[in-house]
Amino acid sequence: MPTLSADPRWPDATVAVTGLGAVTAWGWGVNAFLRGLDTGRTTIGPPRTFDVTGHRTGVASEVGEPPPDGPWRDLAGWGEGSRCDRFALAAAVEAWSGAGLRPGDAARAGLYFGGSTAAMAEGEAFFQDLGAGGHPRVAPLASHPLDGPANAVARALRLGGPVVALSSACASGGLAVAEAVDALRAGDVEVALAGGADALCQLTYAGFNALRAVDEKPCRPFRADRGGMSLGEGAGMLVLETVAHARARGARIRAVVLGRGASCDAHHMTAPHPEGEGAARAVSAALGDAGLDPGRGGFVNAHGTGTPHNDRAEARALASVFGDGRGSLPVTSTKGVVGHLLGGSGAIEAVATALCLERGRVHGVPGDPADGADPEAPVDLVLGGSRVVERTVAVSTSLAFGGSNVALVLAGPEPRAEGGSGS
Amino acid sequence: MTEAVAITGWGPVGPEGCGKGALAKHWAEGGPRPVEVDRGGGYHRRRGARLAARVDPTSLGEWLSSREGRRMSPPSRFAVAAARLALDDAGLGDDPGPDTAVITATSYGPSTFTESLLRQIFHEAPTAASPALFTESVANASAAQVALRLGARGPNVTITQRQAGPLLALAKGAREVASGRASRALVVAVDEAEPLLHAILDRFGALAGSRGGEEVARPFDLRRRGFLVSEGATACVLEPASAALERGGRVVGTIRAGLSAFDPSSPPAGWGLDPEHLAAGLAAGLARHGLGPADLSGWVSGACGSVAGDRLEAACGRLLWGADGVPSPVVPKAYGGEHGGALLSGALLALEGWDLAPTPGFAEADPELGPVPFAGGAVPTAGRWLVSSMAVGGAAAWAVLDRRDPGAGA
Repeated sequence: MPTLSADPRWPDATVAVTGLGAVTAWGWGVNAFLRGLDTGRTTIGPPRTFDVTGHRTGVASEVGEPPPDGPWRDLAGWGEGSRCDRFALAAAVEAWSGAGLRPGDAARAGLYFGGSTAAMAEGEAFFQDLGAGGHPRVAPLASHPLDGPANAVARALRLGGPVVALSSACASGGLAVAEAVDALRAGDVEVALAGGADALCQLTYAGFNALRAVDEKPCRPFRADRGGMSLGEGAGMLVLETVAHARARGARIRAVVLGRGASCDAHHMTAPHPEGEGAARAVSAALGDAGLDPGRGGFVNAHGTGTPHNDRAEARALASVFGDGRGSLPVTSTKGVVGHLLGGSGAIEAVATALCLERGRVHGVPGDPADGADPEAPVDLVLGGSRVVERTVAVSTSLAFGGSNVALVLAGPEPRAEGGSGS
Repeated sequence: MTEAVAITGWGPVGPEGCGKGALAKHWAEGGPRPVEVDRGGGYHRRRGARLAARVDPTSLGEWLSSREGRRMSPPSRFAVAAARLALDDAGLGDDPGPDTAVITATSYGPSTFTESLLRQIFHEAPTAASPALFTESVANASAAQVALRLGARGPNVTITQRQAGPLLALAKGAREVASGRASRALVVAVDEAEPLLHAILDRFGALAGSRGGEEVARPFDLRRRGFLVSEGATACVLEPASAALERGGRVVGTIRAGLSAFDPSSPPAGWGLDPEHLAAGLAAGLARHGLGPADLSGWVSGACGSVAGDRLEAACGRLLWGADGVPSPVVPKAYGGEHGGALLSGALLALEGWDLAPTPGFAEADPELGPVPFAGGAVPTAGRWLVSSMAVGGAAAWAVLDRRDPGAGA
């Protein structure tokens, strides 16, 4: 089997990434996200969406208002959509149009979408109004169920194939990408839109605080002084299709998804397996699915929440899979920059991973490079600025509440001169 | 699918009690027995729906002790009990095997615990939020509990595509098994019907009693006005047919295909208006599996008594089979109310050929629709069933299930 350096001439059946979309606290769009990743700074700070004075902690990564001239303004569903719907719609439209597709294109297009809050914030407003004796309108709850944002995207882009909403907590977005890969391989769809979104709400904010899982300061994944996660919000979306399909329509291949693996800890409802046993099985399964042996090279975009337990277990999982090679395996965590998007985290991290592969540079975790990683969670942490890597292979992990784990193996785009896939 | 995937056991938890014996007896005797929903929370309109079919929490009995379930949300309790019933029915005891996948489907997740958490946060203080309630308020809590209690360490996925979810989960479970990523899969459809959710559905006008008058779901009937919300879970065990037979297992049926499509004309809180698109997607999907309408001799329909939803179901049936060729549908939600487990239970009862009462609530055919639901007695011994479910919001899913080969298995 090859090592973590893959042949860049991808076979026709390989799943290609041809469109990317992002909404994060850095702004509405992939370019804003990428510029933010390059700053080496975090977006985590006091939120304005709701009053946090009654909560135990007071930071989050919050998305600002959309620019008034965004291309999504005229979309069906934008006006009445929830905050989460809008994140999903904006990221989906960016990915879809970036892939050279228009609404209604592709007869067998499917949507695979992860999320965990949907319109909970709007539901909270309804609940408060009702409890205060008011007569709140029920219409804003139309998109409250967990398939609400997925359906909004499918309606707006006139997708007629399968639409599958998944909600496996923090693994949702990664699982959605994995589902899309399966659907493409099986021939269920010709093009898949995959990703996820979540919006800040008081229920998750209070809930994670109740679990003492939230840091009072911006999260510091894999650092010795880490004290927990920081909640975030936004969306990440990817357009996936086979390399053959992308080439046939002249689409630009930005990355490929080589493998996917999933597992469950079956250990504890909230705590990860202390040795990262389930996470390691997911990573191994993804590498096996990709036909790769763990070797030197590449990088890992880790789940890396910043909680003491997660990062320690994840470091052990990576050690068990990559062995001695992990010393030269750069590890980053997008959550250090834009917080934890919960159901959308695996999706935005897949977008970040694809962007890093595309330009051969891994973004860093905010912090002083001199500090290094926690000796108890020993990884080669990309700290501070970004780091150049060869256009090679990366693993993105998502490890959820309830023990659900998923790993994706992505690789960079084929060289245009060799692949002939130029846009 | 490369390997025939068999359903080798199943178990329901519902208002009728635990186990398929209780369910079949109840469904053979007639319709659901709804109860008054607790209106003490102040969420309900003065005039509106009052009834739902609810699970008696004491009925879980030997399948989940009160001690084991005391910190679980209702969906987790239903799901764990149903999973154990399914394993027992499959002859696997309490051990599905370590690489078993758990695939659940739920429309709204754990509503009771979410409502309790909202009350703590907004009626007391954010710091009053209970970590135990939060842990069990997430949509995948029941999938996690099933995995934790049964040691299932394969892929663990929760699908939340409302009424399409159970059939999407069935297809997902079959794919995990067929691909070899899991040696078995436990597929669980689980929903709960707690008062806040009931009140919201009523405010949307979705329930049979939302406009006053009788609260009877009447699928495909001229006088249908909405559905009767219900709760429970149905679990089934999937494994390669060859492996099941090798271990002496019983094959209830095999999953021939799982299909889905989306109707972009659908509003966020209703059913769509484009059956032609859905029927075309279904026909194309069947063709990819080497099937045509003539291969489908039985129909288990997800119709629930909704005016628009049943219209869409019926139109898809007519477009698929032709107006004169539509099989008389078995309509599980007429017997078990609107919850995902009822659909799966109905499909599995049909596969096993149990007796059913005449479709509850159905009295007068709607000439606009066409299908006249099952008239009662032994379910026809169709060889190949189409199971359909149209979801609020636009998604649709179908499963093609082959009845057990009489010569196969124990």
